[in-house]
Amino acid sequence: MISLPSFLAISFILFVSGLVVMIAKKNIIAILLGVELILNSAALNFAAYTRFVNQNLDGHIMSLFIIIIAAAEAAVGLAIVIRFFQIRESIHIDDATQLLQ
Amino acid sequence: MDYTIGNIAPIILLPFAAFVINAFIVKKVPKFAVGLGCITMFASFCYACRVFKDFVFVTYSADYYVHKVFTWFDLGLINGKPFNVDMGIYLDNMSAVLLLMVTGCALIIHIFSTFYMEHDARFGSFFVYLSLFTAAMIGLVLSENLLSVFVFWELMGFCSYSLIGFYYEKEGAGNASMKAFMTTRVGDVFFLVGILAIWSTIGSTSFVDIYAAIASGAFNDLTVVGIPLVTFSAISIFLGTIGKSAQFPLQVWLPDAMWGPTPCSALIHAATMVAAGVYLSLRMYPLMEAGGITTVIAYIGGITAFGAATIALIQTDIKAVLAYSTISQLGYMVLGIGVGAYNAAFMHLITHAVFKACLFLSAGSVIHSLHDHHTDGHVQEMPRMGGLRKKMPFTFIAMLCCTFAIAGFPFFSGFVSKDRILGDALLQALDHKTMIAPAVLGFIAALLTAFYMFRMMFLTFYGEPRDKELYEHTDVETLSWNRNVPLLILTVFTLGFWYSGSLTGQGLVKFPGVEHKEWFSTLIKKPDVEKFTKYKREAWGSTDSRDQFFEKAHYDANHGMTEAQAHHAHHVHHIGAIMSIIIAFFGFFIAYMMYIKKAWSPGWWSSKLSPWYRALQSKYFFDDLYIKVIIQKGLLGMNNFLAWIDMGIYDRYIVDGTEVINRFAYRVSNWFDNKIVDTVGVDGTGASVRLFNVVLRTIQSGKIQFYFMILVVVLVSYIWTLV
Repeated sequence: MISLPSFLAISFILFVSGLVVMIAKKNIIAILLGVELILNSAALNFAAYTRFVNQNLDGHIMSLFIIIIAAAEAAVGLAIVIRFFQIRESIHIDDATQLLQ
Repeated sequence: MDYTIGNIAPIILLPFAAFVINAFIVKKVPKFAVGLGCITMFASFCYACRVFKDFVFVTYSADYYVHKVFTWFDLGLINGKPFNVDMGIYLDNMSAVLLLMVTGCALIIHIFSTFYMEHDARFGSFFVYLSLFTAAMIGLVLSENLLSVFVFWELMGFCSYSLIGFYYEKEGAGNASMKAFMTTRVGDVFFLVGILAIWSTIGSTSFVDIYAAIASGAFNDLTVVGIPLVTFSAISIFLGTIGKSAQFPLQVWLPDAMWGPTPCSALIHAATMVAAGVYLSLRMYPLMEAGGITTVIAYIGGITAFGAATIALIQTDIKAVLAYSTISQLGYMVLGIGVGAYNAAFMHLITHAVFKACLFLSAGSVIHSLHDHHTDGHVQEMPRMGGLRKKMPFTFIAMLCCTFAIAGFPFFSGFVSKDRILGDALLQALDHKTMIAPAVLGFIAALLTAFYMFRMMFLTFYGEPRDKELYEHTDVETLSWNRNVPLLILTVFTLGFWYSGSLTGQGLVKFPGVEHKEWFSTLIKKPDVEKFTKYKREAWGSTDSRDQFFEKAHYDANHGMTEAQAHHAHHVHHIGAIMSIIIAFFGFFIAYMMYIKKAWSPGWWSSKLSPWYRALQSKYFFDDLYIKVIIQKGLLGMNNFLAWIDMGIYDRYIVDGTEVINRFAYRVSNWFDNKIVDTVGVDGTGASVRLFNVVLRTIQSGKIQFYFMILVVVLVSYIWTLV
């Protein structure tokens, strides 16, 4: 039987990995992947807690919501990236400095 | 009648309001300004009539007075004495009579001016000045203290200045106005000194306070530069009178004042302003008496009356004759003050105002109709007149009555008043040797007055016209409301019985079964200073009470003298009256012989007395004295000295020294500005902003990952502190 701490450990690893990817990678698509990792770690946390603490289906439903939102978010993100690529012919994050102004 | 702000203030404020309004609108609607001036004058006259009625017809008491004050400004306590300046009204019988005279004369002169000034380019402006002048004169009459008298006094001086210089395009008019202003200023300075002397002694300039102070001996044992304070202040105030009433030795301005339009001469330089000086001396009579300068006053009056009358003998300008006769008559009033004829001096002030205003207006009527087509100017010279009585019958009647009045013919007002002054002068002369000279001068001046006035009448209205062309161009006078009617109204009041009640003017009114004292000498008496030690001051707005007067007035037939003295006085007055009648007729006779019969030649006299004639021609050399000696020798040197002080000391050291200091201050402030303010303050602010800019710019890099990392760091550190 796998216990709650193991789930939380996996979730933590996923979260930290996502964070590091978001900060370190220069590729926008890689950053979007990092976001997905963080979302997944959150979904895993929901599922783990509802399995071991609440013992109902609320967390599962929330996990499903997260997956759906992640899908939508990935679609929007990729659309932005494509548009960005069309303008700048690059997907390097350091080219996206218009917030400076 | 209740004396409230509602029925006293309009007397002065209506003409003043007319002045203020007219000053703005006169250029646009001169006709309306003239109408407004006349209407406000009429309203003011009506209010003055109310006051007169209350005093003379209702109360009829010598002791009745109304005194209401409010504090104008308060200077607190100085040396334990309250120093505040009151404003208010002091009305007694004298003010009430004078108020009626001033407003009445002013109204009539306003009406006459609508005729005389009609074709003048500045028809409206003339009425602006007239309104202001009348307001000032009324203010002077109503004033309850010397300070407000002084204020209105100066205001009148200004109006006189403006009106003398009314035809400022003529050079003489400008100079004459300057001369009048400067000469009266000499007297005014002393007047102000006198006011300050009184004020610093008793802490008030109110008439009643001065009377009370004289009675209580507040002036005793005080001296200024070695002379008693009371004498000092009396002389100072009398010098104000000398300046304003054109007395010797400051008489030089009044003849030149004839440059002004004739109605203004009638109002200002005959009826009211010059009389204001006499009025002031009458008000301050107790002070003059306490100061012991009545003999000096009598001498000044006598000299003025005589000297001016002699100069009038040879004048050829009709207005100049009247100007010198005004000085002479003012001399009579001053002589009256000097010999203690308080009542008669004031009566002469009133009667003179009426007949002299009428004389001036008549002269104005004559001058206005004599128009020289060659020079396009009016003729004032008597040698070019003559025979005008056929052309101007109404003016002739008015002028003849006034001439009778001023010459002192029986039944006319001048006889009543002048005779009493001369009677009192005679009485004084019999008692004191020193007073003989003024009385003699007074009697001789009476003779000269009768002579030169009839000379003027004969030269103007009788005989053959000496300038035929001028005579033919003159239109025959018709009766018109603003030309002859004002003259005829004034003429009615040249009759003596209005003032004395009896036709002979000897005081007692005798009807069958009725015998009482005439109103003028019943009502107007010397202020009894003892009574004023316990007078009550009333605030504005308080209700009047009929018990305002000190005690029930009673008539003392003998003026406080014993029966024997009174009999003597009465006797002397009779002698004086008979003498003045004889003198008047004698003057008339000489004039008749010289100018109608031509039996005696004036030229013979002038060649016999040629040194004197020359002195008269140059007006006793007073103008030369003042201009050549005092101004050129004395004042010019002082002027140069003052100029040296101004240029050599003030300009050189103070002004230039200030410049050096300023330059140094400029350097200091320049350094401060450049170094401290500019470099440190302004540039320093810029530098610090730039420094922070460098720091903050590195944070705001525009790199999302950098922002994100900051976010993470902040969140972690926040959670860290929570844990």
